[in-house]
Amino acid sequence: MQTGESYPCATNESLLQGMLRLGRKGIPVGCVNGGCGVCKVRIAEGRVRVLGPISRAHVTAEEEALGYTLACRVAPTVAVRLEVAGRLAKPISKGFAAQANHVLTK
Amino acid sequence: MGVMRIGHTNLRVMDMAAAVKHYENVLGLKTTMQDKAGNVYLKCWDEWDKYSLILTPSDQAGMNHVAYKVEKDADLDALQQRIEASGGKATMLPEGTLPSTGRMLQFNLPSGHEMRLFAHKECVGTDVGSTNPDPWPDDIRGAGAHWLDHCLLMCEFDPGKGVNKVAENTRFFIDVLDFFQTEQLTVGPDGAFQLASFLSCSSKPHDIAFVGGPTPGIHHISYFLDSWHDVLKAGDVMAKNRVRIDVAPTRHGITRGETIYFFDPSGNRNETFAGLGYQAQRDRPVTTWTEDQAGRAIFYHTGVLSASFTEVYT
Repeated sequence: MQTGESYPCATNESLLQGMLRLGRKGIPVGCVNGGCGVCKVRIAEGRVRVLGPISRAHVTAEEEALGYTLACRVAPTVAVRLEVAGRLAKPISKGFAAQANHVLTK
Repeated sequence: MGVMRIGHTNLRVMDMAAAVKHYENVLGLKTTMQDKAGNVYLKCWDEWDKYSLILTPSDQAGMNHVAYKVEKDADLDALQQRIEASGGKATMLPEGTLPSTGRMLQFNLPSGHEMRLFAHKECVGTDVGSTNPDPWPDDIRGAGAHWLDHCLLMCEFDPGKGVNKVAENTRFFIDVLDFFQTEQLTVGPDGAFQLASFLSCSSKPHDIAFVGGPTPGIHHISYFLDSWHDVLKAGDVMAKNRVRIDVAPTRHGITRGETIYFFDPSGNRNETFAGLGYQAQRDRPVTTWTEDQAGRAIFYHTGVLSASFTEVYT
């Protein structure tokens, strides 16, 4: 992947919570409850278990079928390779560089 | 002519059981009604109208509408005329469109958000009553929020394309709804663009606020607490309930509010805040925060903006 970063994530916590718990960065963090959509990722390899509903305003059913989801709402069942699916640029913090990190979980 | 205060918000939630548990156990609201469509109605202990929050089951988060209460029923007709005279459209929804609620004037703000005005809602009284009341009831849960105080709407803002719905909403609220501005945050050359705007229809520093963003949405709904210590205790309640806290207790420069921000289980942002700040009056000079001090305007102690606070909303 682009950054080659990786972090351990338990099978009973979300991909985002695993990253947060370690104080790591890479996936944008928002509401951590499936509503705001900033932690949108694509599961490139591996499998995940759904922990709760994700907002259809941010991940359509078609996108979900292609592997897109919200990192706060899925837990890994096996090693996962994921791609951050991008974020909106908001005017109040212009200059906050858009990120496209790639995080590999063990 | 009289808009008095925020009456209720209607939020979309993706897991109703989790949402009700959150608003009851963390904020301290009580469920007062449910309807056949699955909507749940709740109120705070210190509110006297039957509900101030409607939770609607949905496949996404966000706000369906916000409603403000006017003083007299005739205000609804007068305000309909003013909205239409300003070039807007407004529809009078009949009594009973929402349970326990009189007719509602429904319209869209320049920002696109749906707003409603009503004059009547069933009065059920506060939890301490109106005769020789105690200062607080014995069955307070969680943060024990007193009342829904205000909301902050995210409004489309793209000065490069000549779009500023923050400024348009501000004009609409002043010219048509008879609010007055208390504070603003300006950006750009000579502060030409209003990025944030705070308006009052009472003596509080804000009854509604607008902030610029790429798309419209709801930034937060806010509940009032008595004191700074109550804000800290609210943080304890959130930690006990594993609530995602967005901004730990701090103070805003704008409005002087003492605050903590957090998310409901669908990702809608909540605030509990304390401190009436100052007496807002129509002749009080408008406070202006400049772009170079935007950090202190929003988070007065650190002066540092957090990405999630400014970029994340539903």
